[in-house]
Amino acid sequence: MNLEVFENRVLPVKNKLFRFAFRLLGSSEEAKDVVQEVLIKVWNGREQMADVQNMEAWCMRITKNLSLDRLRSRQRRATDPIEEGVEIHHETLTPHERTEIHENMQRINEMIAALPEKQRQVIHLRDVEGYSYNEICEILELDMNQVKVNLFRARNAVREKFVKMNAYGL
Amino acid sequence: MDSKHIEKLLEKYWNCDTSLEEEKELREFFRGPVPENMNDVAAMFRYFDSQQKQQLTSPDFDATLKKKIKQHRPEGKVVKLVYFYSRIAAGLLVVVAATYFVRQEVRKAYPPEIADTYSDPKLALEETKKALLMISKGFNKAQKEAGKIKVFNEAEEKIQGKVLDEVKKTDGQI
Repeated sequence: MNLEVFENRVLPVKNKLFRFAFRLLGSSEEAKDVVQEVLIKVWNGREQMADVQNMEAWCMRITKNLSLDRLRSRQRRATDPIEEGVEIHHETLTPHERTEIHENMQRINEMIAALPEKQRQVIHLRDVEGYSYNEICEILELDMNQVKVNLFRARNAVREKFVKMNAYGL
Repeated sequence: MDSKHIEKLLEKYWNCDTSLEEEKELREFFRGPVPENMNDVAAMFRYFDSQQKQQLTSPDFDATLKKKIKQHRPEGKVVKLVYFYSRIAAGLLVVVAATYFVRQEVRKAYPPEIADTYSDPKLALEETKKALLMISKGFNKAQKEAGKIKVFNEAEEKIQGKVLDEVKKTDGQI
C-alpha cells in the first residue's frame, strides 16, 4: 500500500473510527488520539495487511482494542455529556422546541452511555453506523448469537426507559 | 407513510428482526413530523442520525498524521543502509589489515637478498668464481663416488668370468 491508497481507502474511515472511539471513551480528545494511533498502526503494518479483506472492519477492530486499553488504564465510565455534532438544525423550530429536542437527545445519550460496554458497542455499530451483523461479529470478535443478544438487550433497555418515562410522566 | 406499517416495523426493530434496509426506512420516517405518541422513539432515531453526522473536527489532523507517517518511513531505511554499508566496510577493513600484517611477516621471514653485484664487475667475477668453484667441487666429489662404482663393476665382471670358466670346465668333464 502506498500513501495514495492509504489516503483514498483508509483515511476516509477516520470519522467512523472517531465516533466509535468517542462512544467508548466519551472524550473527543482521547478519541482523536486513538484514531491517530490506529491509522499509524495501519500504515506501519501495511505489508502484513495485504490479505485483510474488510479493511474498514479491521480498522474498527483496532480502534475498539486501543480504546478499551485506554479505558482499562483509566477505569472511568464514559458518561460525559455530548460534545459536538448532536445539534439538529431545524429552522422552523422555536427556541423552546429546540431545547426540548436537545434535552431528549441528551437523555438518549445518557441512556446509551449507561449501557454495559458490549451493548453500547453493538448498538452503536448497528444503529448509528449501520453495520451488518457479520461485520459487527468481525469488529467485536464475537459470534452472531452474542451480537444479537447484546443488541436485543441494548434496544430493550432503551425501550423500557421510554415506557417508564411515559408511565411516570418524566 | 402508513403508521400501521411503521408500528409493525418498530415491533420488529425491538425484537432485532429488522434488516438494515428496514432500519433505514424507520430512520427516514422519523426524520419528518411524527404522531405525538412516537416522540420518544423519534428522538432516538434522530439521535442515531445526528451521531452518524458527527465528524472528527480537527483541521490539522490529516496534516499531523501524514507528517508522522512520513517521518516514520525514511528513518527505517537510513538505519538499514548504514548497517549495510558498515558491514561491507568492516569486511574490507579486515582484508586490508590482514594483507598488511601478512606482508610484514613475509618480509621479516625472508630478509632482502644481499645487495646485487652487477654494478661492480670485479665483485661479480669473484661471486661467479665462487659459485663455479662450488659446482666443480661437487662435480669432483661425484666423480670420485662414480669411480667406486667402476671398481664394483670390474669385480662383478671378474667373478662372472671365473664362474663361466668353471662351468665350461665341468661341462668338459661331463
